[in-house]
Amino acid sequence: MTVGPTKDCGSRCDSDCPGHFGAERRDSKEGLQANVLLIVDKPGDADLVRLRLVDSNFRVNCVTRLSDALLCLETEKPSLVLVDPNLVDSRGAETIRQIIRKAPTVPVVVLSGQDDDELAVKTMQQGVQDVLFKGTVTCKHMERSLRFAVERKGLMHALDETRKEQLAFKDQFLSHVSHELRTPLTCIYQYVTLLLDGLAGPLAPNQMEHLQAVLKSVNQLHAMIRDLLEATRADSGKLRVEPRCIDMRELVRQSLAMMRPAAAEAHVGLESKLDQYIPLVYADPDRALEVLINLIDNAIKFTPPDGLVTVRVAIVETDPSSVYLSVTDSGCGIPQATLPKVFERLYQNPNAVDGNRTGLGLGLYIAKEIVTLHGGRMWVASEPGSGSTFSFTLPLYSMAKLLQPVITQKGRLRENIVLMRVELSPLSKALRGSWKDVCQRCLDILRRCIYVDKDLVLPPMDADGGTQTFFVVASTDIEGANILMSRVREQIGGLPKFQASGLLSVTAEAIPSSRDAAKTIEQLVWEVADRVTDLIQQGFRSAPPHYDDHQ
Amino acid sequence: MLTEDYTDDQPRQRAKIMVVDDDPDLRQALSLRLRANHFDTINVCDGYSAIAMAQKEKPHLIILDLGLPAGDGFAVLKNLQQYPALAEIPVIVLTARDPEGNERRTLEAGATAFFQKPADNDELLGVIRACLQTGWGWTGAKPS
Repeated sequence: MTVGPTKDCGSRCDSDCPGHFGAERRDSKEGLQANVLLIVDKPGDADLVRLRLVDSNFRVNCVTRLSDALLCLETEKPSLVLVDPNLVDSRGAETIRQIIRKAPTVPVVVLSGQDDDELAVKTMQQGVQDVLFKGTVTCKHMERSLRFAVERKGLMHALDETRKEQLAFKDQFLSHVSHELRTPLTCIYQYVTLLLDGLAGPLAPNQMEHLQAVLKSVNQLHAMIRDLLEATRADSGKLRVEPRCIDMRELVRQSLAMMRPAAAEAHVGLESKLDQYIPLVYADPDRALEVLINLIDNAIKFTPPDGLVTVRVAIVETDPSSVYLSVTDSGCGIPQATLPKVFERLYQNPNAVDGNRTGLGLGLYIAKEIVTLHGGRMWVASEPGSGSTFSFTLPLYSMAKLLQPVITQKGRLRENIVLMRVELSPLSKALRGSWKDVCQRCLDILRRCIYVDKDLVLPPMDADGGTQTFFVVASTDIEGANILMSRVREQIGGLPKFQASGLLSVTAEAIPSSRDAAKTIEQLVWEVADRVTDLIQQGFRSAPPHYDDHQ
Repeated sequence: MLTEDYTDDQPRQRAKIMVVDDDPDLRQALSLRLRANHFDTINVCDGYSAIAMAQKEKPHLIILDLGLPAGDGFAVLKNLQQYPALAEIPVIVLTARDPEGNERRTLEAGATAFFQKPADNDELLGVIRACLQTGWGWTGAKPS
């Protein structure tokens, strides 16, 4: 791959290309010139510099204010900006910051009145190409400095582009590889399971055992491919979470149920200790489960037989807006010096109980990324010889925090507030992926039905394939609510995919709110939030059975 | 009920599943598993034959790969939607491609479910049975 200022030009070149004009000047005497945007507010300086530049065959556009310069940069891109940072409407570093922000690809040379090396270095660190001193700069020197500035900026630009290209290529490559690996892996999985299930004839016990070993490796390979892709996504910021309102108890129960077989196989105990009261959590249920599974899986791997793995969920008084989760093992622990490294990519613990099958060393990295995306933290504590504890936090679901912006206006509670319940029941069970998708599309539609500044679709509860209920808090009277409800019925009920698969019920209820002048706005919001929470919980208690199986 | 209670002497009443995949080994393995679970299978290797065979055989369910010669999986989904007789057949997409983006796109194009390869056998069979029992394309009529 070539790196050079003219790399991007090719046949598409236009005068915008920063690394361009040197070559152009060599090619044609009378042709295109470098356009310099000169920003100087003293008329004397301006004329002097302009003369020198025109002599050196630059085309000069001169402005005296930063505001004019920013306007110029908006409409046309000069080859270079030559600026005295002390202007009538902006001074010093701020001038340069604004110019660079406006036109990050245009090289900037500073023309300074002060011959101060320290200041010059500081200016250079802002990303300018050169600093010239008005008193000492010669015509020749200025011309050379400007030309070099353009060339240098072009080189930097090309390097940056190359770096971006390579990163994009790496992502594309990894995604391609993990995709291509899946096809043969699927074939192996299919035939191994065919044999194991006896569909190709009975197997001798030792043949069965060998095939079980193959299947185990297939599963490990599968997990590695998944991790590879996830880590690539985390790297390029494409990992996404879709937070919902979730019950942590249920999630912990699920994770324990899923990991119990692995724990039993390793002869490791698996238990959970949960606080009496755990409020609802605002997190992506699939992702949160993934993190828990990952930590429990690791803990089992590093715990010798007859050891114990404990999952804890707690609320900590000093941080009332988060839930604290931790997974503790009774393994060999992690040396103090290694602790900071465990969340790094490709870190592998050499002490795995299960020999050298440690995976790609991406699991903890991905887990930490997921937690960070939720606004939580993840850390580890370890006592060599007695075990390690991996902990993380997830944000609690706060109705008041969510409602505040929609139910208040100019520091006062809105006149009327309504809670609308939109219930989607599947006509039959199963079709998990499809029903989930139908619900997601209904949610998208619902979000389009409301007024974003005064209504809010509450984060959906995790419905696990059954009846999905969405709640909308709307700042409207009952008449407005009726209009909204009929709009929702029309839009969701009219979706063909939904008609084929689900039943819709839409109801609404006014939320009484106190007008007590003695209460602060926060207290009033809290009261509404509590009332909404109550109603939602009641709704869940009286909810119809999950499936309406019509066979 | 449909899929499990019928024995081999009533082959005409079994649900017919069309497997569309360009990998012959995978096609064979999938067919073996489906037949072991009392389904009839038709194997097809490209997008064009998928449509032709669907018109001829009227399968009760289609398992569809996305990367196919002669019209990829999306083209097949689009084509199926154009024939009223075929539009109602449930289609389970089974592909090595990433669910992100593709899952949504295939479901919007008319697919009933999306699985990334390798898909767990039990999960896949569960969804196949669900598709055939819930009237999503299953009319109860005998395959002609």
